[in-house]
Amino acid sequence: MSAEIRDVPPPGPLADVWASFTENKGAVAGLVVIVAIALVAILADVLAPHSPIEQYRDALLVPPVWAGGSWSHPLGTDDIGRDILSRLIHGARLSMIIGSIVVTLSLVAGTVLGLAAAFFKGVTDIAIMRLMDIMLALPSLLLAIVIVAILGPGLFNAMIAVSIVTLPHFTRLARASAMSELTREYVASSRLAGAGSLRLMFMTVLPNCLAPLIVQATLGFSNAILDAAALGFLGLGAQPPTPEWGTMLAGSLQFIQRAWWVVSFPGFAILVTVLAFNLMGDGLRDALDPKLKR
Amino acid sequence: MLVKNLIPLAAGALVAMAIAGGASAATLVYCSEGSPENFNPQINTTGTSFDAAFHVYNRLVEFERGSTKVVPGLAESWTVSEDGKTFTFKLRRGVKYQSSNTFKPTRDFNADDVLFSINRQWKADHPYHKVSGGSYDYFGDMDMPKLLKSVEKVDPYTVKVELNEAEAPFIANLAMDFATILSAEYGDVLMKAGTPEKMDQEPIGTGPFRFVSYQKDSMIRFQAFDQHWNGKPPLDGLVYSITKDPAVRYAKLKAGECHVMPYPNPADLPKMREDKDITVLSQEGLNIGYLAFNVQKKPFDDKRVRQALNMAIDKKAIVDAVYLGAGVAAINPIPPTLWSYNTSIRDYVFDPAKAKALLAEAGFPNGFETDLWAMPVQRPYNPNAQRIAEMMQADLAKVGVKAKIVSFEWGEYRKRAQAGEHQMAQLGWTGDNGDPDNFMYVLLGCAAARPGGSNIAKWCHKPFDDLLVAAKRTPDVAKRTGLYEEAQKIFKEEAPWFTIAHSVVFKPIRKEVVDFRISPFGRHQFDGVRLN
Repeated sequence: MSAEIRDVPPPGPLADVWASFTENKGAVAGLVVIVAIALVAILADVLAPHSPIEQYRDALLVPPVWAGGSWSHPLGTDDIGRDILSRLIHGARLSMIIGSIVVTLSLVAGTVLGLAAAFFKGVTDIAIMRLMDIMLALPSLLLAIVIVAILGPGLFNAMIAVSIVTLPHFTRLARASAMSELTREYVASSRLAGAGSLRLMFMTVLPNCLAPLIVQATLGFSNAILDAAALGFLGLGAQPPTPEWGTMLAGSLQFIQRAWWVVSFPGFAILVTVLAFNLMGDGLRDALDPKLKR
Repeated sequence: MLVKNLIPLAAGALVAMAIAGGASAATLVYCSEGSPENFNPQINTTGTSFDAAFHVYNRLVEFERGSTKVVPGLAESWTVSEDGKTFTFKLRRGVKYQSSNTFKPTRDFNADDVLFSINRQWKADHPYHKVSGGSYDYFGDMDMPKLLKSVEKVDPYTVKVELNEAEAPFIANLAMDFATILSAEYGDVLMKAGTPEKMDQEPIGTGPFRFVSYQKDSMIRFQAFDQHWNGKPPLDGLVYSITKDPAVRYAKLKAGECHVMPYPNPADLPKMREDKDITVLSQEGLNIGYLAFNVQKKPFDDKRVRQALNMAIDKKAIVDAVYLGAGVAAINPIPPTLWSYNTSIRDYVFDPAKAKALLAEAGFPNGFETDLWAMPVQRPYNPNAQRIAEMMQADLAKVGVKAKIVSFEWGEYRKRAQAGEHQMAQLGWTGDNGDPDNFMYVLLGCAAARPGGSNIAKWCHKPFDDLLVAAKRTPDVAKRTGLYEEAQKIFKEEAPWFTIAHSVVFKPIRKEVVDFRISPFGRHQFDGVRLN
């Protein structure tokens, strides 16, 4: 696809972004990994060799295939005989869902709040931004724990908690870029042409603020996965037997000396996913921000 | 017996003095698992707090180190009347109290101290009764307020206790932590100074080690008490280094930063056994881990449902996977090492098909939904309640029962389970005095089925309770054995619990530690321990 577009002279804006994105090798690697994880998540039912919650009680703590295990459990089994590979595959689906829902929620809510603050100024601005400052003043994980403690533990509540915690970043970003756009002439001319506030907000200004928001959304994706895993690790996120990565990690911590694979693989999955999103987010920022372009 | 005891002690003291003279003082570091709530066992209920206060005090009678045998403590001897209701204790003379910066004792231990210690817990008008919360859970759970008729001082070294009814385990009960003997003189001094609560924070007792200092979540320091009535202990100092994580405890033990650690991860044991510097001691624990069905809630009021779930859960798989061979599947509510264990009882056989049929008969052909509580912490009787809950959840799903795993902070968990908020809850018990009464009456008797009581199945079954009460009233062990064996039959038939396992207790110690003995009651006792 990229090749076809690049063949067309002169390059369109999308192709331009793609061209500078592909210059960053790390970002491309991140994108490849994310696409792979997304495919695995979508095809989890086909790819997973076993059910993620089936306990094979005659195969407890079987090591991975290269460490003396068997091909029926390529990455080994955990302490109650569940296939680790299958749990990781289904966990990928959960992590992707968590990331998408959290980012969608906080992106939409944050953008609306940020634009409102920028447009209406005065009391609205102060009220929204001071609330965000208060939320930012608290460590994000601590705030998430408080919210989960109020709502009760569970995967859905954990997602709501993480969305609320990441909200201030989107709000501040949306407000800042909307404020700078508002002074531009095209906005003034649109206003003179008789555009209402809503039209100005969402049709005129918003498309021009999207670049930093997209970057923040990509980076927020990895934060969301990490925070949800942390909540799962603390027993506040996904409840057993849901194969969520953080929960898997917490449940098997006592085996770190005896059966490294039970602990290492979920940790490795979290690491790779979060790293991939961060790399891609970095590349995207470089590509979208004209100031950083060579 | 006194003379016999003195010779090894004197020899031990000489060796200790020789070592102390030649090298630095012998201080043992014990990596304990948590911070104590306070230093008075009368108001505590957790093993962690009992451990922290244990060495400071003595009791009228003591358990011999590493066994369930009762030996004389502050009482040199005692006599029991014909009807089993009157106990006369002859107290030991010349027993010194420890001193601290704020308190210097002026007299030896005598009958006033015994009366002070019992009356503080018993009499609501005692000046110390309300101090530090005024809740004496163990005293109440052992039925003491109902049992005691009078406690009298006959002369300074004789105390007479009269009971309302004969109580066979009474002497063993007095060796338990709640029966700790405080100092009445210290109490008076603190009361005059207006700081009575210090009694429970800066303890003074007659025990082998003197309390020095305590920093929450960090460490507790003790020093050997040279004037101890049984001679100075071989160690000079004792430090509890508070380390909550079992993996960190293991790392500290490996590095030689502590000498003894409790509650290792079962998964770490094979590695520990390979380590030349570490000896792993083990003993079949005096404990039981169980899943209690709340019989006051539907659908567990139906015996058939309880029996069906007993057949639906694969016990062997749990013992293999979670206890990792460090436990035996439990059949009865008492461990097999305890007398009166009924060996003729057969456990329910794991049979999901039959369980399903029984559920259908009880009116649940498609199963039902329930909660399943799991402790958030590792206990001596249950190394990983969360994992066990997950295994039970999977087994129960196969007979159509959907279980939701629930957990709370540990203190909250016990409180809510004792209040009976659950449908199914895991819990367990480590024996306190080596008497079957201490398992069955406390955990399954009608008196403990009240809201807040320790019978979390809330199961009050008249024929069963009658047998337990009868066994309490007779001192004849053969007769009591018969009654308890009969009670275990009823227990299995009525199935208020799914009995999980009796765990083997492991204590990894460093090789320089000599003569550490595992307490069957889960205490950690260091008064006869030496360091090479």
